[in-house]
Amino acid sequence: MTAQQTHASELKLFPDWKWKSWWTVLTGIMLLMMVGVIAFIVFQPIQVLPRIRLAPGFALIDQNGQRLTNEDLRGRYVLYNFTYTDCRAPECPQLDLLMREVQQRLDEAQTDGTPVALVTIAFDAEEATPEKLRAYAQTLGADTSNWHFISGNPERMKDIVGGGFEVYYEKLDNGEYKFTPTMILVDGWGIVRAVYNARAYEPDADRIIRHLGILAKELRESKGVARLGYEAAHLFLCYAS
Amino acid sequence: MKTSAKLILIIALFMVFFGAILVAGCARPYEFHGMVLQPSDPIDFTLTAHTGERVSLSDFRGKYVVLFFGYTFCPDVCPLTLAELSRAMQILGDKAEGVQVIMVTVDPERDTAERLANYVPSFHPDFIGLTGSADEIAKAATPLGIFYAKNEVEGASGYLMDHTASVTLLDKEGRVRLVWPFGTAPEDIASDLEYMLKGD
Repeated sequence: MTAQQTHASELKLFPDWKWKSWWTVLTGIMLLMMVGVIAFIVFQPIQVLPRIRLAPGFALIDQNGQRLTNEDLRGRYVLYNFTYTDCRAPECPQLDLLMREVQQRLDEAQTDGTPVALVTIAFDAEEATPEKLRAYAQTLGADTSNWHFISGNPERMKDIVGGGFEVYYEKLDNGEYKFTPTMILVDGWGIVRAVYNARAYEPDADRIIRHLGILAKELRESKGVARLGYEAAHLFLCYAS
Repeated sequence: MKTSAKLILIIALFMVFFGAILVAGCARPYEFHGMVLQPSDPIDFTLTAHTGERVSLSDFRGKYVVLFFGYTFCPDVCPLTLAELSRAMQILGDKAEGVQVIMVTVDPERDTAERLANYVPSFHPDFIGLTGSADEIAKAATPLGIFYAKNEVEGASGYLMDHTASVTLLDKEGRVRLVWPFGTAPEDIASDLEYMLKGD
């Protein structure tokens, strides 16, 4: 046995590992990462509600004649719906009744103490006086401690409801309105997070209660490294059903 | 000699690997001081600048646009915010060239282009003040979540305006990216802008 051979056998810790093997390992790691990303997209371990757009700014008058602005609602989850004060069946009781159901079941929503407000905007701004709004709320049996009925400002109503919330409405010749019954969930920052109507999420109290919990969970958990996961969920459109 | 070199390489690779794990574990993703929005459709509006020219937001594509809604009779919030935005631009130094700060008045009744010319550039020579008709202002402010309303008070100045005091950041394509609440420190605004600028 020559000296050189001894030397080689002593150092033969990884006898068959060559450059090629390292490339295999690197490729393996890359593949694992890709599988991880695909698994994230397919299994969606984190589900979020999209950050759709900013909710519009407004200053309107409520059923007590008090001003209510979007800034007054900052820091709360706000569920909006839209109507006109003379609205009758079949369109109107539907979503108003759903609003009432959500209000009655709010204690089921796990919002970690973030208050929830309900806001009904009457877009018939010229007719919807505080008295008419109050009557509308009473007919529904709404608890007005956290449910506001607001209107006023005819010049700006189309910008707020049509332009800002993107809810279509149109006054007809007979004084009635044609509109798309819609509910909109806005987070504490004033961002639209969910739209419930015929074209988006189907309006449903269970879903809305669950969505409130999802918003609160993201607020609670999306910190530090977990934030990466949440941002990935937004990026890969892992939206809650 | 050749095998020992390989061994060193193996050890070096392991060190890099564990080093990377350590860095990944300790590193926190950048946290914006403003509220983050998903890039949406670009926004645009055309108003009258303090120079008297008609100016569109789309004229600033390629720059980050920092939008603030205020008015010149504003006693506290607006001068404070503009001073802090000016300070943020100072912190950014040369990089501030990639950013345009704009104040849109919420009081077009009193804020003429001339009045804005005497007010906005006094905070920073590059700041632009915009005014327009009541309708133009409303169409610009409402979709950005900006409310404003007259607040009649007793006094010489006639009335005050109540208004949203947050600051909105649009990216180079004119999409809303961040909203800074009133009172965000100039250092934090500068840091968010720097991170955005670095990403391009």
